[in-house]
Amino acid sequence: MGKVKIKRKSTLIDMTAMSDVTVLLLTFFMLTSSFLQKKPTTVQTPSSVSEEKVPVKNLVSILVSSADKTGKLQDPAAVEGKIFIGFAGDSIFHSDSLRYDVLDYAVGLYNEQLPKLQAKGIKKTEQPIRLTQAQRDAFAKTSMMGTSFKNLTKVLDMDAAQRDKLMSDLTNPMIGIPISDRYDEEYLNDFQIWMKALRLAAQEAKTGYLDKNHIPNDMDHKDQIAELQILANALSKGQGISIEADKDTPFSVIKVVFENLRFMELNKFTLMTALKQKDK
Amino acid sequence: MAQIEQSDKGKKKKGAQKKMTIHVDFTPMVDMNMLLITFFMLCTTMLKSQTVQLVLPAKPDPNMKKEDMTQANKADVMTLILDTQYDDKNKPLKDENGNTIHDVYYYFGDVADTVLTVNPTQLYHSTYVNTGNDADKVIRTVIRKKNEKVMDKYDALKEKYNRKEISDEEFEQQTLEITKDTLNRPAVVIIKALPNATYENVINAFDELDFNKITKYSFEEVNAGDSALIQRYEKANPGTKILRPSVRSKQK
Repeated sequence: MGKVKIKRKSTLIDMTAMSDVTVLLLTFFMLTSSFLQKKPTTVQTPSSVSEEKVPVKNLVSILVSSADKTGKLQDPAAVEGKIFIGFAGDSIFHSDSLRYDVLDYAVGLYNEQLPKLQAKGIKKTEQPIRLTQAQRDAFAKTSMMGTSFKNLTKVLDMDAAQRDKLMSDLTNPMIGIPISDRYDEEYLNDFQIWMKALRLAAQEAKTGYLDKNHIPNDMDHKDQIAELQILANALSKGQGISIEADKDTPFSVIKVVFENLRFMELNKFTLMTALKQKDK
Repeated sequence: MAQIEQSDKGKKKKGAQKKMTIHVDFTPMVDMNMLLITFFMLCTTMLKSQTVQLVLPAKPDPNMKKEDMTQANKADVMTLILDTQYDDKNKPLKDENGNTIHDVYYYFGDVADTVLTVNPTQLYHSTYVNTGNDADKVIRTVIRKKNEKVMDKYDALKEKYNRKEISDEEFEQQTLEITKDTLNRPAVVIIKALPNATYENVINAFDELDFNKITKYSFEEVNAGDSALIQRYEKANPGTKILRPSVRSKQK
């Protein structure tokens, strides 16, 4: 009698093919997608038939918050129309130098304007801003900023998690860059100061010389100028600024943003929309 | 991780070379890749938003006289007045498909012609989507009719392009020429949003302009002449209420 031989089969499964597939998938995802930006609030953009893509280097994005949709707030419109500004928005590897530059310009403009206003008896309690390096670094790491100049240093002194929490709490009166429909060159609102800073930075980069009064650190400005020249080009093409707002927000809220931009001579910009299929 | 198996089956011959097969276990590698994929799927987005480019007229120069400014020909001007209806909970009204219902009112020419003329300016109502069976009433058709010369030439050009008779650049350049050529009498559209019109309504209107190749447009506020026109429309069509206070101001 021959013994019945039980064949011992190895339970090893060859994972090489599986590994190949996953690596391919991984590569695909890495190449086709872009990182989600941390945003203080999400809005549902309206859809349009336009097929223009968001420029890869979407330099400055302005986010206009929508009315409360969760139904938790008594007055849903209370959180509507808060403005946030993000610099070097959608690109995967953004450079921080743009943020430093625009911040320096904006703070410079604010400090320039403040004594004149205080002489007229406006904004008596506010102090000129002197930013420390730590605060500038904090600003460069923040993807979206939405607070007045008055509270800027206070917000920048917080640690990142705390700051994000504060930014997403829209009911807080500190949140949102102050904007108004006052168009007075002598008395710019905070939003206008940011936009003027953008325009100035772009203008100076075009001449290839940055004013030391605006940019405090006395380094060789080559990289900064290159970065700002990208901004200047994008602004002149109308791709430098994009506005993101909710589809159910009344247009009167957004029109104020339009008019403010127009007042700051930045009358070319883009609006973020979702894709809609062209009918017909 | 890696195993080296000896494939001898009990028989051992001295001096014979051992046959070895090498198995590398890829399971941890796969695990790690899956984790990475999960990470990328959660933290990234594939959706690239589209953008609409907007060019507002430059800030008026205070030194410039009114006579020196370029004025649009009255006959080419068309004004859109946008409005959105709200329900009693102050949310925009939706149709059965979940799309917000938007209204567009329009008139041609100048409001100053409203009174004291034989043929006064008329306000008409229209929508973005075809609700009834009358395709002529949809705002797209209306604007197209106003911009007919441009659109006819553009359609002919597009036909050529679709037949691959002209290149992309030629197509773009000629489109620009057609829309800029004053002989084609391109329409000038003024968009006026009533306080309750939503952002979506404006973007929709903007889409219609883009669709009809209108390059000259501006945003303006509703003025007294428009209000008079709307009031007359309300009177002629009992039941319609266009001039309403903003829903937002009611809450505050």
